[in-house]
Amino acid sequence: MKKSAIIGLITIAICVCFLVSLNADTSNYSTFTEAAKDSREFHVMGHWAKEKGTYYDALKDANHFSFYMKDEKGDVKKVIYSGTKPQDFERSEKLVLIGKMNSDTFYASKILMKCPSKYNNDLVEIKQDGQVKRYK
Amino acid sequence: MDIQFTGETLLPGKVGQFFIVLAFAAALLSTISYFFATRNKDLADKSWQRLGRIAFLINLFSVIGIGVTLFYLILNHYNEYYYVYSHSSKTLPVYYIVSAFWEGQEGSFWLWAFWQAILGTILMWKARTWENGVMTVVSFSQVFLTSMLLGVQIWTERVGSSPFILLRDAVNLKEMAPVVFADAENYKNYLKFITDGRGLNPLLQNYWMVIHPPTLFLGFASMVVPFAYVITGLWQKRYKEWVKPAMPWALFAVMVLGTGIIMGSFWAYEALNFGGFWAWDPVENASLIPWLTLIGAVHVMIAFKNTGHAFFTSIALVLVSFILVLYASFLTRSGILGETSVHSFTDLGMFGHLILYNVVFLVIPVVLIVLRWKELPITNKDEETYSREFWMFIGALVVTVACIQVIFSTSVPVFNKAFGTNFAPPIDAIKYYNQWQAPFAILITMISGFSQFLKYKRTDTRKFYSSLIATLIIAVVVTAGFVYITNVYNNLIYILLSFSCMFAILSNARILTQGFSGKGKLVGAAVAHIGFALLLVGALVAAATSRPVSINATNFIPVKDFEKVEKPGENMVLYKNEPKKMGRFTVTYTNDTTIAPNTYYTLNFKVIDEKTGKLKEDFNLNPRVQINEKMGLIASPDTKHYLTYDVYTHITSAPDKKEAHAESDAQSEEQNYKKPRVVTVSTGDTLHTSSGIITVKDLNFKPTAKSLALAEGDIAVGLPLEIDLNGKIYKAEPIFLVKGHNTFDFARNIPELGLRLRFTKILPDQKKVELQVFEKPQQSKDWVVFKSIEFPYINLYWVGLIVMVIGFVISIIRRQKEIKTV
Repeated sequence: MKKSAIIGLITIAICVCFLVSLNADTSNYSTFTEAAKDSREFHVMGHWAKEKGTYYDALKDANHFSFYMKDEKGDVKKVIYSGTKPQDFERSEKLVLIGKMNSDTFYASKILMKCPSKYNNDLVEIKQDGQVKRYK
Repeated sequence: MDIQFTGETLLPGKVGQFFIVLAFAAALLSTISYFFATRNKDLADKSWQRLGRIAFLINLFSVIGIGVTLFYLILNHYNEYYYVYSHSSKTLPVYYIVSAFWEGQEGSFWLWAFWQAILGTILMWKARTWENGVMTVVSFSQVFLTSMLLGVQIWTERVGSSPFILLRDAVNLKEMAPVVFADAENYKNYLKFITDGRGLNPLLQNYWMVIHPPTLFLGFASMVVPFAYVITGLWQKRYKEWVKPAMPWALFAVMVLGTGIIMGSFWAYEALNFGGFWAWDPVENASLIPWLTLIGAVHVMIAFKNTGHAFFTSIALVLVSFILVLYASFLTRSGILGETSVHSFTDLGMFGHLILYNVVFLVIPVVLIVLRWKELPITNKDEETYSREFWMFIGALVVTVACIQVIFSTSVPVFNKAFGTNFAPPIDAIKYYNQWQAPFAILITMISGFSQFLKYKRTDTRKFYSSLIATLIIAVVVTAGFVYITNVYNNLIYILLSFSCMFAILSNARILTQGFSGKGKLVGAAVAHIGFALLLVGALVAAATSRPVSINATNFIPVKDFEKVEKPGENMVLYKNEPKKMGRFTVTYTNDTTIAPNTYYTLNFKVIDEKTGKLKEDFNLNPRVQINEKMGLIASPDTKHYLTYDVYTHITSAPDKKEAHAESDAQSEEQNYKKPRVVTVSTGDTLHTSSGIITVKDLNFKPTAKSLALAEGDIAVGLPLEIDLNGKIYKAEPIFLVKGHNTFDFARNIPELGLRLRFTKILPDQKKVELQVFEKPQQSKDWVVFKSIEFPYINLYWVGLIVMVIGFVISIIRRQKEIKTV
């Protein structure tokens, strides 16, 4: 066999390994129901359940933040995150949580937020006297 | 009917828009002219070329005109323009106004077009016989970049996004503020109500934002030049000649893009809170990959130039590199990474436009290769195993395969969009990428080491192995020492990567010494290789051994199973002036200063020798936060730099200063304190409180105070107190007053300590006095939560970049000289 053919085969084999590895390490975006079936980590997408509020008291435990999230199937669960309350959390439009489910509570190791106010238009209210106020 | 709005300054916008249209039209004319000039058989006829030059210079002039106009608007805060309103504000200092200039999509496209116009102008002057073909490609790319700024409606589709669009056209004012603008008169006067713009994103208020984007976009713009040379080579059937003039440009592009990427990691390290300098974020990956493929291309170009082999690989890698730049731009700007990246742009409706740019510049080279296939000088001869060109090829192949791994993984959202799948990216991106990229890095550095001992065509094997083995032995010894000093010996991959980097450094250092004694041509390459290996080893050590030192162990609950879910937190809470042990440091939150809109916290770090009690180190860090109306708490870190490590700190939670002050004003004084502690003390006594150690001094029988008005027969006594907190002394003197048959006392407050002191009784029989000590509940004291990480040997990373850039500069100069001698 020629050296170039050998090199080509090795290259193709490595690329196939990539795809297998990517497939093994990649999961689907899931729901809370799916996350409850398995003890590994999942991506769960959803929205903050605003009516249930958030809990973060830096003085009691600086590494404990909890809230409720409604996933894409409409399921609402408590979420606990071991860290500080993320910047801009109240304005997040959509959440992607990474973590695992344990006894009806989701323990998130990472929270990724989609915040429209970061790059898109804010609502601005202008009062009668001409003062400009940011509108939450 | 057109409404006449009051106070608008519309002329500059019209001028700017004119420049945009002119730039686009001139680029199009330049492309057409150079195209026909290239096809023209009559070499004496220069009319098309002349027209192309004029058109391209008009494009350059127009692009500069766009920039000047936009800068004028931003500098003068004309908020009737949407871009100005969105990105600037009056509170910004001038250098951040420069940043506001390219913060948005439109500004960054302008920046890219500007650099490409500059480079094209240089090519007109330098490219000589290659000018017509190369400038056709550059002009064509310029057509696309300027089309991104057009902002014109073509049938139902809008093409591009203009920086000169008006606020009232971009935003529905009546939805923005329905009460005010329901009034027709107010609607006409809308500018009266818009007093300021929204300002620069607080995370971008940093000096890196001033220099990182221009550098990165110069790198991106430079990538079109080697691409243009390849296209022209294929087009004009100059299959072998393109390498020599393209080489300095390729080296320049690698140098600048590499610098821009590393500046981005500086920025992430210093100003963002990734907790480090590289996170394998999709936007980071997107610009890293074309850099690596062009490095591979440069090496194969050198092999091709010296041996005539590897023609196809060299053109393929150059072409792919520019295509990947466009793909990176698509990933970053189309919004497709929205769910996986924290710092991509949002979609401005340019999705299809960006795809078109990618597709066109992919199709052109493919068509040319297909048309020219039979004429391409592809050799089928096998390479000698012991030859430099063979291993340069293998090295480039390893780099390319490494890039394939990253680009596949980064493109998961693209696959989801294209095929309707639902894949999520890897959960632990850092671990996932590192497990593949570390072995590739080992291979690349090993190859860059031993290939230095090989010659072109064929090497004497005995000489090769004697040099190789000597360097390997030295590398083993050096690696053993290095691994021990830097504490990376607990992981096999770390050890191997350290070894391969040391081997690369030593091999190239050997070449460097030979270079100084005659073989000057190899100096640049050797220096660049050494820099690259230093960069890798610095990144390895800092990342492998970095650790949070702000572990909060007090809330760690060692319960079975619970451990698996929750691990010790990495954030620590500090109360003002209360020291806390943190690893070998003792940290105290001593002060905060508010310079609107930022608050700077002073954290004092001390290292005390536990045996002798001696103070070994003492320094302050000042991380800052900004309570931004739009974005909540924004934190920027501060770092203490030592020669062999950094201590990196950022605030993760803090009280909102405005609210805190408002609350305290609303309460009467003593309700704010806990129940008092009542003690009887005499002179010389000390009292321990959480707010410091109180020492009682001699009674003062002639106290003075503003509110004290003594009458005949009144008796006033002062009780001087000293409060020692961490060596700092505070003084206070509460006063006890006897007036007739009544007694009064005047309390003293020490706000910094949350203390209130009252002198309430004299006990003459016991020669003692009664003192009441009020302390604020811990809840009410100033507090802050922070995270602290140590990065050992991070300076190797920065030094590696500098050395690598120096190497590239030397190589560019050398290649430039080579051209002149031809």
